[in-house]
Amino acid sequence: MIESVLRTSRIIMDKIIEENPISDSLYKSAFIRMVKDPSTMLALTVVMIYTVTAILSALGMVATDWNLEVGTSYAAPSLEHWLGTDIFGRSVLTKVIHGTQVAMSVGFFTCLIAIPIGVLLGAIAGYFGGIVDDFVVWFYNTLSSIPSIMLIISISLIMGRGLLAVYVALGATSWVNLCRLIRAEVMKHKNREYVQAAHALGAGNARRLFRHILPNIFHIVIINTSLQFQTAIKSEVILSFLGIGVQGQPSWGTMIDDAKLELARGVWWQLFAATVAMFIIVLAFNILGDALRDALDPKIKGK
Amino acid sequence: MDNLKYFLKRLLQTIPILLGVCLIIFLLFHIVSGDPTHLILGKNATKQQMAELREQLGLNRHWFIQYLDVVKSAFTFDFGSSWATKQNIANMVKEGITPSLTLTLPAFIISTIFSLMLGVLVAYYRGGKVDRYVRVICICGMSIPSLSYILFFQWSLAYKLGWFDISGYDFGFPNFIPYIILPGIIWIILSIGPDVRFFRTVILDELYQDYVRTARAKGLNEVTVLFKHVLKNTLIPIITYVVIQLPYLILGALLLESFFSIPGLGGLILSALNNNDFPVLKAMAILSSIAIIIFSLITDFLYTLADPRVKLK
Amino acid sequence: MLSILKLKGNKMSNKLLEIKNLSIEFNSSEGVVKAVDNISFSIDQGQTVGLVGESGSGKSVTALALMRLIPNPPGRITSGEILFEGRDILKISENEMRKIRGNDISMIFQEPMTSLNPVFRVGEQIVEVLMLHQKLAYKQAWAKAIDLLDQVGIPNPSQKILSYPHEMSGGQKQRVMIAMAIACEPKLLIADEPTTALDVTIQKQVLELMFKLQEKYKMGMLFITHDLGVVADIADDMVVMYRSKIVEQNHKNEIFKNPQHPYSKGLLACRPSLAGNPKKLLTVSDFMTETGAEKKVDKHLLKIHQKDYTFSEKENPILLEVENLKTYFPIKGGVMGRVVNHVKAVDGVSFTLRKGKTLGLVGESGCGKTTLGRTILRLIEPTEGVIKYAGQDVTKMNQNELRQLRSKIQIIFQDPYSSLNPRMTIGEALLEPMIIHNVGRDKKDRMDRAKWLLNRVGLNANQLNRYPHEFSGGQRQRISIARALTLNPEFIICDESVSALDVSVQAQVLNLLLELQEEYNLTYIFISHDLGVVSFISDQVGVMNDGKIVEFNNADNVYRNPQNDYTKTLLSAIPKGLPAIQL
Repeated sequence: MIESVLRTSRIIMDKIIEENPISDSLYKSAFIRMVKDPSTMLALTVVMIYTVTAILSALGMVATDWNLEVGTSYAAPSLEHWLGTDIFGRSVLTKVIHGTQVAMSVGFFTCLIAIPIGVLLGAIAGYFGGIVDDFVVWFYNTLSSIPSIMLIISISLIMGRGLLAVYVALGATSWVNLCRLIRAEVMKHKNREYVQAAHALGAGNARRLFRHILPNIFHIVIINTSLQFQTAIKSEVILSFLGIGVQGQPSWGTMIDDAKLELARGVWWQLFAATVAMFIIVLAFNILGDALRDALDPKIKGK
Repeated sequence: MDNLKYFLKRLLQTIPILLGVCLIIFLLFHIVSGDPTHLILGKNATKQQMAELREQLGLNRHWFIQYLDVVKSAFTFDFGSSWATKQNIANMVKEGITPSLTLTLPAFIISTIFSLMLGVLVAYYRGGKVDRYVRVICICGMSIPSLSYILFFQWSLAYKLGWFDISGYDFGFPNFIPYIILPGIIWIILSIGPDVRFFRTVILDELYQDYVRTARAKGLNEVTVLFKHVLKNTLIPIITYVVIQLPYLILGALLLESFFSIPGLGGLILSALNNNDFPVLKAMAILSSIAIIIFSLITDFLYTLADPRVKLK
Repeated sequence: MLSILKLKGNKMSNKLLEIKNLSIEFNSSEGVVKAVDNISFSIDQGQTVGLVGESGSGKSVTALALMRLIPNPPGRITSGEILFEGRDILKISENEMRKIRGNDISMIFQEPMTSLNPVFRVGEQIVEVLMLHQKLAYKQAWAKAIDLLDQVGIPNPSQKILSYPHEMSGGQKQRVMIAMAIACEPKLLIADEPTTALDVTIQKQVLELMFKLQEKYKMGMLFITHDLGVVADIADDMVVMYRSKIVEQNHKNEIFKNPQHPYSKGLLACRPSLAGNPKKLLTVSDFMTETGAEKKVDKHLLKIHQKDYTFSEKENPILLEVENLKTYFPIKGGVMGRVVNHVKAVDGVSFTLRKGKTLGLVGESGCGKTTLGRTILRLIEPTEGVIKYAGQDVTKMNQNELRQLRSKIQIIFQDPYSSLNPRMTIGEALLEPMIIHNVGRDKKDRMDRAKWLLNRVGLNANQLNRYPHEFSGGQRQRISIARALTLNPEFIICDESVSALDVSVQAQVLNLLLELQEEYNLTYIFISHDLGVVSFISDQVGVMNDGKIVEFNNADNVYRNPQNDYTKTLLSAIPKGLPAIQL
């Protein structure tokens, strides 16, 4: 099945390339470079399938009946129940699919919170320097001095357990690295000649920062997003396992938590299902992140 | 003289950061969290009881006085006592450090040395078969959830095969050794993937510098080029990467300690989390932040040893 | 008599290096590129061969091939032989090759700043070669390293040997590189643009040193450069490379006197000379067509043009007056980051400039010429002094007035690769100033002007939606010029605007700037380290040193009759061996 999806998307991509023979922008040529690489394409396809699954699940179109008792307790994988059932006789497959929704939503909302904060603070600090910079640097130095696991635990404890606390806790702690990178890049770029040239042409601060500098460092944001997304997914699993993540619905983390007691009874399928589901998406993001870095990072591109 | 001045300057710079850490912790635990008394007393507490407890915990004082208390605790290490166990927190922490370190430190040292060697090896064979295989294994290994590793190894090696104790801990050398081998191995397996990838990237980045070409033009062989010329230039990112992890060793391995019932600081945090034990969490947050600040000072200092261009100015 | 015979007799058998039909290919994303195409030349013992060519001509790749240091992939030697003392070094094992590198053949690179390992003392780096090839013990090697540093003219060598590279100046680093290269008394020394990154006074010293050492050790030398003046000074034979091929090789005097290939002729003609220049510089394209066929060149194009230093108050009123301008940068220090001192980048500069004229500012790196240019535009804030532009004090202008001013004064930067925003198309770059200053009725109006400008600077107007990386360095500099012209400025500051370009392209851009000046009555400040270029384009010349203008006069006077000692040093450092071109 994956093969046919891969083939169709390849054909579509080939058409796009044929229609735009000149690779005239960095992103376009990066895109073409990535499309040419089968493992990257596979990773992209995986991410798309997971995203669609998560959206369909959120819309209530798949895996809504995860709470339904469909068989006996701890039924081993069979033709009827591909991934077996859990203690309450619920389908593990359905639970895994529902877990996709939880995992992807955590990745998405974490990025949604962290990336704007990181980019904005980093850009402003790097560009204007002075007291603003001192404050931002102090702020992220302070925040990164507290181990993020302590911050996350504290925030979720205080906000009450649940997904919202996970979004906020992960979002509030994971912008620091991006902010640091963006600040350093903006500082480098603001003295580049093309920015000086814009200044000499009468371009104001906002124009220089948003129209000139940010588009030139945007690849960092893209590469960072792919990294942050998978880190968030991994963190969700651990938080759910610690009992401060999702409540009252299945996620990969709670499934692995269940498995802690099940393994001794020889029930391996819930652990297996959650592990494989997570392995595939994290691997896909890892491959994608590497491919993005190879294609977009000018430092590596020269080699 | 210059070194002393620089050190004083860096030390001064850490004060606002430490105050900031206290501020964030204060805001989280005293302002955002609201009234903790019903968490302690339960739902059936009377107004009278709650008011008394508030008075007792000093929650009625001006917020700034309460903030100063947090700052004071960061310097005196006097964090009061736990809500759950009523024990002195400083003592609880002291007891937890040893088990945590006996688990993490040996594992950390072994995994770092091993990964560094592997990183240099794949950088040497870059583009070749060894490089490709190691990279694929690393990236796959990194993608497997850490919980699954722990569950699988504990189940297979300890439960099924009985090679190790399933869980537990014994104080004193060498009594603890049998208990830390399995979690140690898991720690090493978990760290190798990201470590090797990091070291490889850092070394490869350096390989394209002009001085490497000069070294080759001298007639040096690839091993000398790599181990002498390149490796010394990569020390700064490597030091950063390694030393930054050290404070987290003291913090312990949260998951491993929980699975293997090792009475370390990780376990302390988890039980505080489960008991809504604010003072313990607060203390752990402050202490680990102090550790991170101290180790970042040490990192700065090590830079000057690794690279003559970094001037203590 | 005997010695002459002996020399002649040896000449036959004394071929140190012989390259036969060497071809090198590189794999790139656009396919296979022939970097070196079937070249053959030889170097005798003790002979210096100058390998001349512009960027991308394949000269550096050739040098790396001699050391077998071409990165593979993407590079590959596809055919040919490199005979070193009769032995084909392309056929020997990597182990044997390592014994040759740094021992029989050694190499000096262009970038002294990055070619030394930053974390080892320079002594360690020299000792390493000696221990490797001469099997010296550490102590002996150390003593010899001190001796070598002494030979390459490093003062106080027993102290300096303990320095790290960053504690040395560029010239000293290049001397250390030379010491390392000659440590094992190689038979062949390859020098790849060894002085290009250095200031002209330092260049002179380094060249003299290399010449002396070559005499002393009787080394064969392959000297790679783009600068004909340097070849004229140092080389015996000369090899000219163009587009991966050798187009001409002969004794240097033969080539200078009577160049055969049109490209060599063009290369010789396009270099601005201190001895006077024609009104327009000749370029390679005056001598040959795109396909390489020779063109006939009119003799009168070479006639030396006499500059006109007269001016009229009406035509050439005073446009810019700079009085006692100072730009200081604070140095912070101490525990609390107090300002402890200042770098005096511009330190009390005064001059006036008339409309339609060009002021050349010349000086070595760090003399403050770039800071001066940017301070006049207030891209950097001045510390003290007055900048009067058309009677108005620029230093007192508010943001709004400054914005107005920016449409009248423009700047063209040095590096054509970084002065254009890589994420903006050429069209967007040209439209931007018009949008900022609200020039032009609508988008179409602005587009028309952008197209017209591209045509004016000699580019195809259809290329508006291309990105900068699709253009060559020279083309990009034309785009920068077009962008500077969008708002019809009166005054343009050219900050090393042609320094990063190849000489033939440089001549084209200089010609374009002159044409535009005549057409629009533009006023220029032309900042450069290259005295030839400044003398060609300027009316007035200011020589800068340590943030001050030490000599200010009209162009001919500065060069023919320098008054200041620093100017004299600067002038004497320029390679003199190159004769004027004849046709």
